[in-house]
Amino acid sequence: MTPSATTKTRHRIGLTQELIVFVVAVLLFLYFSVALNGFLSPENILNLIRNVAMLGMLSLGMAVVVIGRGVDLSLVAVMAVSLTLSIVLANQGYAFSTALALGLAFAVAVAVVMGFLIAYVEIPAIFATLAVSAIVYGLGRGVIASLDVNNIPDNLHWFLFLGRGAVLGIPMPIWLFAICSAALYLFLRKTGLGRFIYGIGDNISTARITGIPVRPIIILQYVISSAMAFLAGCATAASVASMNMRMVNSTLIYDVLLVVILGGIGLTGGRGGVRNILVGTILIGLLLNGMTILNISYTVQNLLKSTVLLLALVIDALLNPRDEQTSQQGDI
Amino acid sequence: MTPIVELKAATKDFRGNPAFLDVDFQLLPGEIHALLGENGAGKSTLTKVIAGVYPLSSGKLFINGREERLGTPAEGLAKGIAMVYQENSLVPSMTVAQNIYLGKEKPLNRLRGIYISAQQFLQSLNFHVDPSAVVGSLGAAQKQMVEIARAVHHKAKVIIFDEPTATLTPEEKSYFFKLIKKLKEEGVSIIFISHALEEALLVADRITILRDGRLVASDKASAFDRQKIIQAMVGRTRTDEIYSGASRTRAPRPRGPKVLSVENLSMGNMVRNTSFSLYAGQVTGIFGLVGSGRTETLKVVSGVLKRDFFHGGEVKIDGQPKRYLVPAPAVRDGVVYVTEERKAEGFFETMSIAENIYMGHLGGQPYGGLSIISMRQARSLAEDWRKRLNIRAIDPNAKVIELSGGNQQKVVIAKALVQKPKLVIFDEPTRGVDVGAIAEIHAFINQLADQGIAIAVISSYLPEILTLSDRILIARQGKIVEEMDRRNATEESIMYAAVH
Repeated sequence: MTPSATTKTRHRIGLTQELIVFVVAVLLFLYFSVALNGFLSPENILNLIRNVAMLGMLSLGMAVVVIGRGVDLSLVAVMAVSLTLSIVLANQGYAFSTALALGLAFAVAVAVVMGFLIAYVEIPAIFATLAVSAIVYGLGRGVIASLDVNNIPDNLHWFLFLGRGAVLGIPMPIWLFAICSAALYLFLRKTGLGRFIYGIGDNISTARITGIPVRPIIILQYVISSAMAFLAGCATAASVASMNMRMVNSTLIYDVLLVVILGGIGLTGGRGGVRNILVGTILIGLLLNGMTILNISYTVQNLLKSTVLLLALVIDALLNPRDEQTSQQGDI
Repeated sequence: MTPIVELKAATKDFRGNPAFLDVDFQLLPGEIHALLGENGAGKSTLTKVIAGVYPLSSGKLFINGREERLGTPAEGLAKGIAMVYQENSLVPSMTVAQNIYLGKEKPLNRLRGIYISAQQFLQSLNFHVDPSAVVGSLGAAQKQMVEIARAVHHKAKVIIFDEPTATLTPEEKSYFFKLIKKLKEEGVSIIFISHALEEALLVADRITILRDGRLVASDKASAFDRQKIIQAMVGRTRTDEIYSGASRTRAPRPRGPKVLSVENLSMGNMVRNTSFSLYAGQVTGIFGLVGSGRTETLKVVSGVLKRDFFHGGEVKIDGQPKRYLVPAPAVRDGVVYVTEERKAEGFFETMSIAENIYMGHLGGQPYGGLSIISMRQARSLAEDWRKRLNIRAIDPNAKVIELSGGNQQKVVIAKALVQKPKLVIFDEPTRGVDVGAIAEIHAFINQLADQGIAIAVISSYLPEILTLSDRILIARQGKIVEEMDRRNATEESIMYAAVH
C-alpha cells in the first residue's frame, strides 16, 4: 500500500541524512590524517577536541530550542557574558564557586526574560533572541567588565581541570560533552517534559488543546539552552584560563546553526534529537579544524561555511516542508 | 458544444489518500452545474483542482478544449476561472473597492478613482454595498456579494461557488439565485457545491453527484428528483442505516446531573450573551449556520478561547464557576474539545498513533510533564484504544498524517478520551470521514453517553444532529436561541430556527 511505502521512504531519508553526515565525517577524518601535516599531532587533536566540545554543547542547547520550533541566537553572548560575570566577581573576592553560581543565575535569568517575551508577549523567537543577545553583550562590555578578555584568578586548579584535565585518558571537555549529551538524551526521550517539547514543535495548537502547558515549557526550552551555553562557557574558560567576549562578534552562532541543521534537526520543529547533534558536531568540528590547518583565510572559511549553511537550509526546507505547505497538502 | 472545462480520468490524492478518483467531469458553456455529495465526498477538492489551487495527481484537465496544467489560483484566474470559497478569501482590513480591484491595481493607484468605478460596477450588478466600507465590518451575505463582484470583475468565464447559500437567509438566497441566473445569461458557467438538494433541483441545469471520491451520477437536472439524488449520494447502503431507522426512533436518554451551565457568555462579536446547560448521560446536538458562533461558544467553555474580560458572563462546571485562560486546566477538570480542524489542531503529525494517544494521556495528568515516559504503557494504551475505536493502520508505527481521514479522526478522539473527561465536545466529528467510520464514531459517541458522560456534538449536517442527539440546541448569531426535544424536531423546524 502507498501509505506504508511513504513511511518507509521517509524513515530511510531520515537515516540517510544522519548516516551521510557521519560517513562524510569519517572520510574527512581519514583524509585529513593522511593529507594534513600536523593534523594528528597531540596539540592539534587537543585543540580539535576543545573546540568540538564547546561547539557540541552549544549545539545541544540550540537543538532543544529548535525541536520546540524556536531558535536561540543569544547562545554565544550568554556564554561569554555569564562566564565573564563569574570571573569578574571572582576577581573582586567572591569564592569562585559562588561566582559561578551567580553566573549561572544570570544566564537563567536572561533565558526566563527571553522565554517570557517569546511565549507570552509572542515576539518571534529570532528577533527576541537577537535583541536580547545584543543587550547581554552590551551589558557585558559596558557594565560587567571593561575589557574584552578577563583572566581567571590563579590557583583554581579544580576549575582548570575541567578544561585541561583528563580522566581515563579522555580529556575533560569530552566528558562534559558526553555527560550533557546523555542527560539531554534522557530528558528528551524519557521525560514528559521532553515529549511536550516535541509536541509543541510539531503543532503548538494541538499541544495547547491537549492540555500541555505550552508557554511555561517554551520558557523552559530557553532556560535549558542558556544553561548549556553556560556549561560550554565553563569548558572554554577552563581550557584557556580566560573568557574572551569578542567571541560574540565571531561567526560561532552560525557554526552552531550549521551543526543543528546539517545534523538533521529540521527548523520546522518536532524532529531530530541528540544523535543528530553528535554527527553534526563531529563533521563541522573536523571541517573547521582542517580548514585552519590548511591555512585557508578566515574570510574564505566564512564564505565556505555560510555556503554550506545555505545549502543545508535549502535541503532542510525540501526535506521538511514548512507547516502551511504541509497542511495545505493534506487539506481535503 | 465543446465543454468549457473538462476533466478526464482525473485523480487527486494527498499522500496516498485519494480525495477523488478517476473522475470524468464536463462543464458546458453558460450552464449552472450543481455538485452534490456528502461531507468528504471530494467536491471541494474537485473544484479546487479546476480553479488551479491544486494540480491533478493524474488524469487530464481541459479548458476550452486545450489541455492545461494549473498550479496556482492565479493561473486559474488567468484562464477565466474564479472561485468563491466557503471561508471567504477577502482581505478583511481593506475596503470593498480595494478588494474588488485586488491584483488589478494600476502602478499608481488612486483610491477615489477605484471607489467611483467600484460604485458603478456594484450598481450594475444591483449589489447594495458601500465600496468604501471595510470588508471586516460587513456581514456574511455582503461579503459574499463582494466575492462575487470580484469574480465577475475579473471577467471570469467560470465561477465556482463552494457552499454559497450556507450562510444566507432565505431572501438573500433567492437573490443569490437570481444573480447566478443573470450571470448565466451573460454566458458565464457556474459550478456550485451545495448540501441543499432543493436548491440544486431548482436552479441547476445539470447535476453531478460524488460519493467517496467517485463520480456516481451526472445528468440534466430534470432527470433527477430528491429521492434519486439521495440514493446516489448515499448509495442506499451504510449512510441510510446511520441516518434513519432505529437510532431516530429510540427514546431520548433522560437528563443526568447538570455538568455545564453557561450564563450570559460573551466573546467579541462571535458569542453574544448566550446561556445554556449540558447534562451528563446525554448527547446534546448543537446546530447553527456559519457565523452562529457555535464553535466559538464551545471553545470558550473548553478554554481554547477566552471569554470577554468584562461582562463575559459565567461558565460553571459541576456548579463551580470557572474561567479558563488556556485549555490545560479545563482538560484537568474533565472538559475536552475534539476539534473540527484535525489537521490544524487535532494531532501531532510527526508522531505515531501510540505517541499521539500517549501525549493526550500525559497532557491530561496534573504535572504530566514530570513523569517518566514508559513506551510499554504508551503501546498498551494505544492497543486498548485501537481496539475500542477500531483504528486501522497497516503499519502501527505510521505517522498519523499518513492515515485516512476516518482513522485520523479516531486518533484525535482517542487522544481526547484518554484524558478521562466528564464533558466531551465533538466539533463536526465526522467531517471528511468515510461512511464506515461515521457509523463507528456515532456508535462510540452513543456508548459514551450511555456511560454517563456529557456529550455536545456540533454539526452542520442535520441528519447527524437528528440521529445522535437526545436534545437539540440551535445557535444563531452568537447565541443559543432555541432548545428542542429530539422527538419533536424535524430538519425543517431546526433550519427555521437557525435562519430566522
